[in-house]
Amino acid sequence: MLRKEQNDLLTQTGPGTPFGQMFRCYWVPALLAEELPENECPPVRVKLFSERLLAFRDTDGKYGLIDEFCAHRGVSLWFGRNEEHGLRCPYHGWKYDTTGQCIDVPSEPIESGFCKKIKLKSYPLVKIGPVLWTYMGPPDKQPPLPEWEFSLVPLEQCFISKRLQESNWLQAMEGGIDSSHVSFLHRGDLGTDPLFKGAKGNQYNLSDMQPHFEVVEQPGGLYIGARRNAENGNYYWRITPWVMPNFTMIPPRGDHPMHGHFWVPIDDHNCWAWTYDFHPIRALTKEERAAMEAGQGLHCKYVPGSYRPLANKDNDYLMDRAAQKAGKTYSGIEGFAIQDSSLQESMGPVCDRTKENLVSTDNGIIMARHRMLRAAKAFMDKGTLPPGVDPEHHKIRSVSIVLPPDQAFKDGAKEALTRRMGMAQTTV
Amino acid sequence: MQSESARMTTAEEARYRIDYPNSKPRATKVIALDAPSEAVVKRLAQGQWQQASFFTSLDFDGAPRSGENWSMKAWLSDLAGRTKDLIDEVASADLVVMVASAGTRPKAAGVIAEACGVRKVMTTALIIGSEEHTDEELSRTLAALRPYAGMLVIASNDDYIEEMLVALRA
Repeated sequence: MLRKEQNDLLTQTGPGTPFGQMFRCYWVPALLAEELPENECPPVRVKLFSERLLAFRDTDGKYGLIDEFCAHRGVSLWFGRNEEHGLRCPYHGWKYDTTGQCIDVPSEPIESGFCKKIKLKSYPLVKIGPVLWTYMGPPDKQPPLPEWEFSLVPLEQCFISKRLQESNWLQAMEGGIDSSHVSFLHRGDLGTDPLFKGAKGNQYNLSDMQPHFEVVEQPGGLYIGARRNAENGNYYWRITPWVMPNFTMIPPRGDHPMHGHFWVPIDDHNCWAWTYDFHPIRALTKEERAAMEAGQGLHCKYVPGSYRPLANKDNDYLMDRAAQKAGKTYSGIEGFAIQDSSLQESMGPVCDRTKENLVSTDNGIIMARHRMLRAAKAFMDKGTLPPGVDPEHHKIRSVSIVLPPDQAFKDGAKEALTRRMGMAQTTV
Repeated sequence: MQSESARMTTAEEARYRIDYPNSKPRATKVIALDAPSEAVVKRLAQGQWQQASFFTSLDFDGAPRSGENWSMKAWLSDLAGRTKDLIDEVASADLVVMVASAGTRPKAAGVIAEACGVRKVMTTALIIGSEEHTDEELSRTLAALRPYAGMLVIASNDDYIEEMLVALRA
């Protein structure tokens, strides 16, 4: 459990909130690059950390992320004309560049220099791989660009999607480090999903339903290791890195692509669940890409024309009681992503953690909260930069591996837990 | 018309959740396995707890090994210095938390875990102060505890133990 003030601290990320300020120390995924596919394409509304913004790509291909509303009369610039190096408000013609600088006020003489005195709030928007990233903290504190492996491999080795999750970011993220739910909620999919099935590690998962856990601090966050019995007295380890505050990578299965998540607050009641798949050394196969595009693996199907899952709370997540009863799915909901989101959204917009009853196998979650609370205090009291901002903390990998019983996973898998560009993953 | 899930997941509906204590206090026994962790456990014991009690391990040298007859006499000491029977304490526990310091070889862990295994009581082991020790020292303690803990946590400082016990409603 958390005390109410602790829960409020970690779940409130709007402007001026303590954790919101800390969260703004990080580069976060803002849009898929495909959302701004060409120069002078239509602008896109974006809400992040409870701020209404507008993303656009100008005549020269420069990306901008600016306040959504015109400084003149507060009109949404989503209606604007993206033309000749800027976005022009259709109401009275005020025009802005990608930095939010007003560059034309038609009613005022150019010589007056009036437009130079108008500037909308803006944030950098940078394309790395298939994602547009933003940093919403103080400009003088802007860290180096992120170096997550999935965003650095060639595009043919990577697939990324995002889906709207109608809950606070924290309950979504905590699902990602809650290793023990997989054996229940997702048990029906391990052997059937084309992006999971066939791995030898699945056999260990299904033959030992009572894994033991080890939680180890690492510079950027945590390693959460789950061990199960393997042959000859050895242990099968699945090691999940969590990097503060919102990144996880799921341990690999066989030669399937590696995958994981980012959770980014939209406001305190909604977040983006980003899902990446990548293979470190080869292009995704046609079949793998087709499965991801069809919403399999950790991805989902969408309401056409949106990033809202097709199975959502408005249709009870397409609950199938017959499939639940037959054991085809454990919860009656299809697919890893919606199995998670349906339950996490059912907690309510913001989970009330004062009422929960955690058990010892929840230590990964307890430790993650502890790290975030500790980092938030250091940030607020001394301005200490939180873990996970430094790109060195991004150079990690998840691992599945068989080790002797007396070997610590952080020693036995030390090299495997480190990002090695162009080298195969360590997997079972 | 909205679906039931849509109606029931609003902030407004969250206000109608029943405000009722949904759990009873759980008995948590916290046992220091070595001298450095004893100081930590003694400090923890000064706090306000629901049903947590705190011990140090005493003499486990005479305890039988795994597979031998369960006639062992292994003793704990409460923080007032009174001797307590391990079996009795485990029998009344919902969770046993063992606290060790990096670099030590906590020989009591096996006996405590065996007692917990007989009574089907969950065990958690915490290794503290890992930043001050070498990887080899930490690995030695890890290897000594691994067979005996369902959950093993390596914390860089000891304030995590208090946070964990609060989170577990100890």
